[in-house]
Amino acid sequence: MTAQEVRLCGLLLQEHFGEVVEKVGRNLLKSGTQNLRAIVHETGLSVDLVKKSLCVLMQHGACSFIQGRKGPGSPTEYKAHCDRMLRILRYPRYIYTAKTLYGDTGELIIEELLQRGHMTMSNTVKTVADRLTQSMDEGSSMDYGEVSSTFSKLVETHFLQRCPPAVGAGTTGSSQTANSTSAAPASSTAPTPESFPDCYRVPQVTLIGRSKRPLASEEGEDQRNAKKAKMDPETHGDEGIYWQVNFERFHQHFRDQTIISAVANKLDQTSSEIVRTMLRMSEVTTSSTAPCTKPLSANEIFRSLPSTYNIPRHILDQYLTLLVDDPMEFVGKAGESGGGMYIVNLNQALANLARATLESIVQERFGSRSARIFRLLLRKRHLEQKQVEDFAMIPAKEAKDMLYTLLSQNLVQLQEIPKTPDFAPSRTFYLYTVNQLPTARLLLQNCYKTVANLMERRLFEAKESKRLLEKSQRIEAILASLQASGAEPEQLTEVEEMITAPEKQQLDSLRLHVNKLDSAENQVDETIFLLESYISSSTKPTSFLNDVDGMWLERKAHFDLDDTARTLRHNGQKVERYTKETAGN
Amino acid sequence: MAGRGRGRRPFGTDPSISRGEGLPPGLQQPTPVFPVMEQKPLPLAGGEEAEYLLALKQDFRGVMKNLPFFIKPAAAQRDVQRYSDKYHSSEQTNSLTDWNLDWRRFPRELQVHIRRRVREGLAFSTMDSSVPVQKKKKKEEEEVLLKLETLEKKEEHEQSSEEEEGGVKKKPEEEEGAEAEEEYDEEELEEVRGQQAWVRTTEALRV
Repeated sequence: MTAQEVRLCGLLLQEHFGEVVEKVGRNLLKSGTQNLRAIVHETGLSVDLVKKSLCVLMQHGACSFIQGRKGPGSPTEYKAHCDRMLRILRYPRYIYTAKTLYGDTGELIIEELLQRGHMTMSNTVKTVADRLTQSMDEGSSMDYGEVSSTFSKLVETHFLQRCPPAVGAGTTGSSQTANSTSAAPASSTAPTPESFPDCYRVPQVTLIGRSKRPLASEEGEDQRNAKKAKMDPETHGDEGIYWQVNFERFHQHFRDQTIISAVANKLDQTSSEIVRTMLRMSEVTTSSTAPCTKPLSANEIFRSLPSTYNIPRHILDQYLTLLVDDPMEFVGKAGESGGGMYIVNLNQALANLARATLESIVQERFGSRSARIFRLLLRKRHLEQKQVEDFAMIPAKEAKDMLYTLLSQNLVQLQEIPKTPDFAPSRTFYLYTVNQLPTARLLLQNCYKTVANLMERRLFEAKESKRLLEKSQRIEAILASLQASGAEPEQLTEVEEMITAPEKQQLDSLRLHVNKLDSAENQVDETIFLLESYISSSTKPTSFLNDVDGMWLERKAHFDLDDTARTLRHNGQKVERYTKETAGN
Repeated sequence: MAGRGRGRRPFGTDPSISRGEGLPPGLQQPTPVFPVMEQKPLPLAGGEEAEYLLALKQDFRGVMKNLPFFIKPAAAQRDVQRYSDKYHSSEQTNSLTDWNLDWRRFPRELQVHIRRRVREGLAFSTMDSSVPVQKKKKKEEEEVLLKLETLEKKEEHEQSSEEEEGGVKKKPEEEEGAEAEEEYDEEELEEVRGQQAWVRTTEALRV
C-alpha cells in the first residue's frame, strides 16, 4: 500500500461512495486491520456512519472482516483491499468487453453487478429486464428467460462467480474454525471464491415471465419503488446465493486481446488469427497463473481454425515456424509429436509487452536517442560509459548528459565494481544497468500518481465552475419538463437564452476539459493493467499456505513439506492440492 | 581519504567528469511545480471505442451518486431553524433504509437499530436530528392538548346542542391523537399550533 495507491483509492472512493466512505477506507488502508472502535476513534466520525460505510465497503468487496483472530472473544476486525479498490478504474472496460461478447444484455448485467457489488441472480435478471424494456419500443417487453440465459452463459465462461459464503458471520460464529487444531489460530485469510466447488454452478431459479412495462402515470412511483429494495413476496429459489464479477477472468481476456493485437501489429492478420485460435482452445485448460498454455499439436490447430481462413496445411506450418522464430517469442515449440506441439508463452509475452511499454515511455519523455541508450542497456545488461557511447553511436558529451538524466530519474542504475578494497575512483569500474522489474514497479507508481493527479484536476475544474454547472442543470431540467408538457418553441428559446453566450462558451470548454481528463484516465489505466500483469506474473507466487501458517513454517528450521501437509489438517483444500501435485510429479 | 567512508561517494568524485568541465549549476530553490517539457506528449487516442468508454464512465459515476451506497456526510446544522428544513430533512433519509442487507453475510455488530422513540443515551447521528426535538415536542403536545380541552369545555357550555355534537366529535379525535404519540409528526404539531392560534384569536374576538 504505497502512498500513491492510498491517494488514488481515496479519490476513487470519494467519487463513487462519498466522503464518509473515503475517510473510513483511507483509515483502513493506512492502518491495516482494525476493529470498529479503533476506526471510530481515528476517523472521528459517528458510530452509525462508520457502520454504514463498512457495510458499503463490504458489499462491494473492498473490505472483509475477520472474527476472533486473537482468540474466541476478540472483536471483529476489518481489512481493506487496495487492489480491489483500484479496479474501479477499469469498470468501463469490463462493461465494454461484456458488450462486445454478449451484447446489450450482457453489458447491462455486468453494469448492474458492478454498481451493486453482490446480487442474487433473480434480482439481477429482473432489474436488467426492466431496464431493457424501458429502452425498447412501446408494447414489447423483455422476457426473463433471455436474460437468464445470458446470465448462465456469463457464468459458464467464468465471467461471473458466486461470492464465497461468509466466514463466521451471523449467529453461529466460527464453528468450523473453532474445531481446528491448536497449531495455528483461526484462519486469518478468507478463502478464495474458487476454492468452493459450487463457484460456477447456476442455481435453479424459478423466474418465468416478462418484465412489466411501467405505465406512464405510475412511472414516478415505479422508479421510487425500484430504488427501494421492497420485501418481494415471491422468492425464486436462490436466496442467499450472491454473484460477483470475476475480475481475474476479464484480465485474462484483456491479456489475450493484447497479445493477439501485438502479433497482428508485428506480423500479419493471419498469424494473429492463429494465435487467437490457440488461445481460445486453451481458455479452459490453462489456469490464470500458468506461465504458458498447454501444448497444442499443429493438427488440432488446423482443425480449429475458423472456417473463414482457408489456409492449406503447409502454409499453417510455415506461419507457426515464423511465429516460433520471431524474437518476441510469443509462440514456442514444445515437441515434435502430432506435427509439432506449440505453446503460447504467456509470461514471456507479458514481459516483452512490458519492455516495449517501458521503452516507449522513455522515448516519449526523453527523446529517441535516450531511448536508444535505454534499449541498449536492457539488452546488454551492464555497460561502462565508454561502451555506451560506442554502441549507441552518440557523441560522448551528449551520451553523458542523457545517461545522467536517466540516472537522476532512477530509470538507470549505477553498479560499482572495485578493483581494490578501497573504492578508489580511478581503480573502480562503474557500470550502468537497467533492471526491468524494479523499473516497471517505479513506472507503475508513476501511473498511479498520474491518474490521481488527473482526477484531482478534474474535480478542481468542476468545483471552479460549480455555480455555472448547477445553473445549466436547472435550465436543462426546466427545458425537459417544458418539452414533456408540450410548450411552444418561443418558450423554449426564451429558457435557452437564460444562459448567455460567454457562459455557454465556458461550459463548452469545461466539458471539453473534463472529457479529456476522463479519457486520459482510461488510457493510463491500460498501461497500469499491462504493468500490473507483468509484475504479478514475474513475482513468484507466495507460499500456498495462508500467512500465519507460512510464518509458522518459516520459523521451523527444517521441515518436510509432505509431512507438514499431512499434519496441517485445517488447511484442507490447499494442502490436498499440494499433495496431489507432488504425487503427480 | 577518498573512499574510506561508509557512505556512497558524492557526485563530484565520479571519474567520468573532471572538475570544471560543465558541472550542472547547483539548485538554488525547489524544482518548479510545472517544469517546461522538452518533448510534448502524444495526443489522446480518439475513436469510437474511447468515446464509448468515456460515456460509460461518466454514466457510471452519475448512477453511483444516486444509489443508496453513496453516503453523504451529515449536513451542517444551520444556526436558525428554517421553514425549508422540514422539506430538506425528508430528502436525506433515503440512504441505507432502502437497501436490504442480507445480515447473514455481515457481522452483527454493524447493524444500526433505528428507533423512532427517544434513544438511550445521547443521539450521535445528526441525520436523525429530530430525536432530541421529540422530547420537547411531547411536553408541548401535552400542554397544547390540555389547553384545547379546557377551551373546548368552555365552548360547549356557551354554544347550542348542534355545536356540542361537533365539539364531541372533535374530542375523541384528539384523544386518539394523544394516544398515538409515536407517530406525531411535525406537520401535525404545526396544525395543532395553528388551531391553537385560531382558538386564541376567536377568544380574543369574543371578549
